[in-house]
Order: sequence, then C-alpha cells, then structure tokens
Amino acid sequence: MRRLSLFTKCLIIFVVLWLFLRFFIGGVWSVPLPASVISMYLGLILLAILVHVSVEDDRFREFLRPVKETLADENRRVRRTVLFVLIPLVILGLAFSRLSTKADPPAALRTAHPAPPTELKYRDKVIGPTQEVENPFRHLEKDDQEAFQAHVDNGRRVYYQNCFYCHGDDLDGEGHFAHGLNPPPANFQDPGIIPNYQESFFFWRISKGGPGLPPAATPWDSAMPVWEDHLTEEEIWDVILFMSEYTGYRPRTFGEAEH
Amino acid sequence: MEKQSYKNTLLIVIGNLILLLAVFSITAFAQGKTAPAASEEGKALYDDKCAHCHGIEGAGDGSAAENLLPRPRDFTRGLYKIRSTESGQLPTDQDLFDIISNGMPGSSMPAWSEILSEGEQWQLVAHIKAFYDGFEGASPRLIDVSGKVPYSEESIAQGKEFYTNLGCVDCHGVIGRGDGTSAPDLADEWGFRSWPANLWEQWNYRGGSTTEDIFKRFIGGIAGSPMPSFISSFRLGLTDEESARMNDLELKMDGDGLSDTEEEEYAALEEKLFMFEDIMLNVEEGVELTPEEQTKLDTALEPILEKSWHLANYVKSLGPEERPPAAVGDKVLRSQYRAEGLPGMNDEAWNEIQEVSYFPLVGQIVIDPRQFNPSIDSVTAKSFYNDNEIVFLFTWDDRTKTLPQTDDETGETVEDALAIQFPVKISEGPTDPKPYFIYGDSRPVYLWSWKVAEPSTVIEMNAKGIGTATVQADQAPIQAEGVYKDGQYQLWIKRSLTTEDRNDVQFAPGVFIPIAFSAWDGSNGDVKTKRAISTWYTFVLDPVPSNKRFVYPPLVALISVGLLFGLRSSVRRRQNT
Repeated sequence: MRRLSLFTKCLIIFVVLWLFLRFFIGGVWSVPLPASVISMYLGLILLAILVHVSVEDDRFREFLRPVKETLADENRRVRRTVLFVLIPLVILGLAFSRLSTKADPPAALRTAHPAPPTELKYRDKVIGPTQEVENPFRHLEKDDQEAFQAHVDNGRRVYYQNCFYCHGDDLDGEGHFAHGLNPPPANFQDPGIIPNYQESFFFWRISKGGPGLPPAATPWDSAMPVWEDHLTEEEIWDVILFMSEYTGYRPRTFGEAEH
Repeated sequence: MEKQSYKNTLLIVIGNLILLLAVFSITAFAQGKTAPAASEEGKALYDDKCAHCHGIEGAGDGSAAENLLPRPRDFTRGLYKIRSTESGQLPTDQDLFDIISNGMPGSSMPAWSEILSEGEQWQLVAHIKAFYDGFEGASPRLIDVSGKVPYSEESIAQGKEFYTNLGCVDCHGVIGRGDGTSAPDLADEWGFRSWPANLWEQWNYRGGSTTEDIFKRFIGGIAGSPMPSFISSFRLGLTDEESARMNDLELKMDGDGLSDTEEEEYAALEEKLFMFEDIMLNVEEGVELTPEEQTKLDTALEPILEKSWHLANYVKSLGPEERPPAAVGDKVLRSQYRAEGLPGMNDEAWNEIQEVSYFPLVGQIVIDPRQFNPSIDSVTAKSFYNDNEIVFLFTWDDRTKTLPQTDDETGETVEDALAIQFPVKISEGPTDPKPYFIYGDSRPVYLWSWKVAEPSTVIEMNAKGIGTATVQADQAPIQAEGVYKDGQYQLWIKRSLTTEDRNDVQFAPGVFIPIAFSAWDGSNGDVKTKRAISTWYTFVLDPVPSNKRFVYPPLVALISVGLLFGLRSSVRRRQNT
C-alpha cells in the first residue's frame, strides 16, 4: 500500500475528530453539543494542523504537494474534474440547508450545583456560616443510636409526604411528577450528588428551593419548593439524615479535602 | 440378576423423577412462579421500601397515603386490582410479582424491577401475602386467554358496538376519555374517589396495555374499584335473544303486566337462569363440575369471551401506548405562517398540523394550598399566524365539566379553567432572567385567563408572583371560544401579534417565547393555587422560509467554482515560471 500523503493524514485526523465530537462526545457519552461549540473546536483543530504543517518549509511543501498536483497536473484530470464539480455542489447544498432549517430552541444552559451563600439561614434566622454548620442531629449517630433512628424515621416520613412526588420512591429522581419537570429532579442515588456536598448545602437547597438559587442556576425554572414555608428546621435536618441513611452515601463533612 | 433388577428399579425411579419434574415445571410454567415462605428479610425490605405508603401492617395507611390518589393498596382484604385470575379470585403470586416489578403506571407505585433483585421482589410477594389469611391454600382460577381474537378493523368495529351497548360509556364516556355521566361520583371499596380510566392514555393503564392485559381486566374486573367483571353484565345461561326477550318482559311486567303465556315464558327463562346459578355456585365453592355442567358453562362463556376480545381490540385501538414526548427540542411548538387566513375553531385547516405539541402538567405543590393529585395531566397546542394575528388551539382532557359550584370540602367556589402564561418581557438568552414559572416574581408575567362559565371570553391579566394576578384595565380585543366535548376541552384563542399595551407579550417571528400553563379541574377541588401546572416551555412563530435560499447558495457555489479555477491557474502559472 502506498504511504498516505501528509495532506490525507491531516484530512483523516480532522474528520475523525469531527466525528468524535459530533457523535461520541455529543451522543454516546453525553448530550449533543451545540453546533457553535463544535465549530469552535474544529476551528482550533484546523489551526493546530496548519501550525503543525507550516512550521518547516519542507513539511509545508509536502503538505501542499498533493493539492497542487490535483489542481494542475495533467494526469490528475479525472480527480480534478470530480472535485471541481463536487466541491461547489456540497457548498450549494450546505448553504441551502442552512437557510432552510428552522431555528433551534435556545439551549438550556445552567449551573446544576451552584455554590451556596456564605450564610446559612432558616427563614430569616441565621444559623451560621454555610461552610461550618453541621447537622445538629448527626452526632446522635455515635452518642444515641435510638434518638438518631427516631430522627431518621421522622426524615423518612417527611420525605414520603413531601419529596417523593418528584425525587421518587427510591430517591432516584424518578417520582411520578418527574416527567413534567425541567430541570429534572435531583437523583440522590447518583454517587456524584450526596458525597460531594455538605449537609449544610442540602439544608440550603431544601429550605430556599428553586427561588433561592443564584441566576446562573435559572431559579425561575426550578420547581423545587421553598420548603422552609412547609417544614420545620428539624424536619429539614431529619430528611437529610434519611437521604443519607437510605442511599448509604455520606455527605461531605467540614474540613474534608476538596474532591 | 439381582443387580439387573436393582438397576431397573433405579431407572424407574429416575424416570419417575424426571416425569415428576417435568409435570411440576409445566404447572409452574402455566401458573408462573410461586413465592417463597415469608421471611425476616422480606419484612425488612417491606418496611424500608413499601411501608411508608402501604403501612407497616399492610393496611394501605402509611404516612404518605393521605396525599395519594389512587390510595396505596390495603393488603389486608385480599382485594387486588390487577390479576390474571377470574372475578372474585385472589391474584396469583406471579400477578403480585408483576405489579411490584412493573409498578402501576399512572399511580405513585413505581416499577421496582430496576431497583430490587428478582429474589427481593419475591420476598416482598411473600410478605404481602402474609397480610391476608385467605392466601393460605388458595388456588385461584386463571382467566383463559386461549381464545384470543386477532386485532382487525372488523373486530374493532364489533368491540366499539359492545362498548356503546354494554354500559362502558356510563363511566368511561362516549369515546372513552373517562368522562361518563357517573364519573364524578365513583368511589372504591374504601370510600376514596375513583376516576374511571381515560382509555386514550394507555401509558396510564395500571395493569399494562397489551390486548391480553385489557382482556383480563374485563373478565376479572378490577377488584375494589367500581370496574366490574364483564361477565356480570350478562345473564349467563341465556342466549342474547333470550336475554333481550327477558328484558322486554321485565319492562312489560313493570308496565302493563304480562299475559299468561308471557308469564310462562318468563318462568321458563328464569328456570334456565337458576340452573346456571347452581353451576356458578359450584364454581365459586370449588366443587368439581360434572362434564355436562362444564360443557354448559363453556358454551355459555364462549360468546362472552369472544365479545371481550373484540372489546379489548377496540380499546387497544384508541390511542398510543406511550406518553407523547414533551414540547421541547425538535418537538417544540411552532406556530405556522398561513397566508390563506387563520382558521376558526372547527376549521379543517387545523389538520394541516400533523403533530400537536404536548405540555405535561403536574400538581402545584410549591405554594399552599397544594394539589398533590392533579386530574388534568397535559395541555396540547397547535398554532398559526399571519402578518397581523396569531391563533392557538389548546386542548386538555378533563373527565368532568364543572361550572362554578361550591366545593363540599373547602366551601370554595370551584370551576374548570385554564391560564396561559407568557413573560411580559421576553428574555434574550438562556441566562437572561425569566419570571418565576408560577405567576412570575419581580419580573411580571402576562396571562390569558379562561373560565368555563364564560367560554367565549379570555381575560388579560398580569401577575408579579402567585396571588398577585390582576385583571388588566385595558383589555385587548382577544377572540376566544371554548367547548367541552367527550371529556376534552378545546379552547381557540386569537390575538393580534402586537399590541399597544406595554404589559402584554408581543409576538414576533423567529423569537422563542416562553409559555406555561395552569389548569383547574373544579371537580377535583382545584381553586386558586391548588391546580395543575407546567414549567416553562418555549414556542416560536416559525419564520416564513425566505426566498434568499434560492439566491445566495447558488451564488456561493459559483464563487467557489471561480476560486477553484483561480487556484488552478495560479498554481499552473507558478509551475511554468
């Protein structure tokens, strides 16, 4: 087999990377990427390729050789004719479809897990700095198993009277209201949720709900109620204990290293 | 010699064992698996996963039960809705397993198949059975599904006829949206409200939506609910003609009275019925029927089973199996430009839009009073616009038409209503703030409020937070028409694209405009904040395809040809020099 020319190699790299972005990253691995993001990446890739081939004169000449051959050589006539017809046709098609496609709805860009405010509050009462406040009933786990269990049980009651409509029987975000919500309810069985946040973070998210989110997290879209309107402070701490007990995930504690 | 006979005996024993195993596995296969003995593990699992709804003692009275409808099952009475067994029978173990595994769509019972192992689910079956003594030694009779009638247009047509004539419409409504005349007053065995199924929403069929599933619900009935076994609607032992004749005679008996010959005729028919009742009594008590009786029973049941298959095929034909996808992404609501004029409510032109946009609704549980059990589950929409105006056709299913009336429980005046919500100012990007999805906040929303009492009026409102909705002093001329038919509201609304009022939303092509809904079902106690709501969706007035697409692309293509030739000649020139 003949060795591939530098130009063909670069072309292959470019196409493979495009396929990777379009169908692997944005498809198999994650949700489809916006076209603008893909073209940004492709621009960078193209730039990198051009820099690579133009660093040395010889390499650049080698890179351009097949292009020049195709454009001018007599014995490349067939290839040239095909390309001279194909390229304008492809451009025609792309431009036409671009002008004919319908506008895409705006992408929902939001911060899923924003930083909490520095001060943790229940209604207007300041509890303390968010970074330092601990669940006041957590210590019972060591000190008084029975009392601890009573708090967990109370949390269970609170959860199934208030939360499971959206967050689901199994705390998996698959409650019977979930299909109608966007953003979707949090899935506490996801190992990336409970272990990554302190209990005070959950207290903040539960007590202040959707409207308590910072603008980057689109507070106007979240259906999470402001639970301090419906639950007592103790009930909120209890439901956090229950979430942790049920899923087996422990919230991060103060002083633990950042992940 | 002795060795030989020993071998023979061994062979016979093994042979018998194999036979026994085969027989056993065949019965096991026919009846599904059976649950293991109740165990501590089963109880622990039950207490962790089930008790918060079904109660520690299985009485359906867990802490969550109060706010759920349908209520969690009370296991202490042996009444199970979804069974593969005949009317009045207990479910099989496999039935219970299937319910745990698949959940009950349309209720709060989730599918546990992905969460618990098969073994764990069987342990739960065992534990649940222990709540009711009647399971001991019970061998429920299975519904015979062998006579399945294939799905065909003909069968559907027959099924439709039975649907209309056999009383289904009383609860499920003329075309099956669960809006029958008795729908508002139905209650289950425990006295809780029971909504007849909306047969168009197969994704909510509690026991699945295959034709066999539907057939089993007809034959077995839905125990504990007002849904009877289909068989009970017939006079077993009489032919259709005899049954009709008996009806006539009964009518006459109540009216003019019967002649002597008619009296005799009636007595003869009654005799036939009584004979059959004896057979049914034997069946009920598990007494083995004589071959003659069995034949009689089979002959009597055959036409009923066949009718049930037709009926099942009809019900199956009513709607899609899956809930439609929500109106996001490529399903987003697109108002179509229509130069030929905007259609009125009943215009054929609406059929030009094949796919309606589907907006799921959920209960409003953010602000008191809350609605944990909404009865309206979605709004659908289509829309057209032209250079001056925009027109919408909204539909939503509601099993009851409720004109303003006093709610028995709360004393509030309730009625059916819909509100369509837009932001006053349309945000310019995904991070540009929008008003809060329930009636806005410091950023106001613009509302179209429609109520059933005045079906041709839409009132313009503004709100800056829930409870702050105010009627605009300056009402733009909005045309509206609302109609209730067969369990569904249709609401047609037309407004000019733009208005002079700064508090109105302004519609312009190509702009994605947020839209949200609130729906009230008066019969479900909906009033004020207690209602069904949607989150924000967006819709767009699809821009008219521009003629530019016939100009620019060829131009660009031509330029590219020119460039290619230019490149070629420049390369050649350099090579020649």
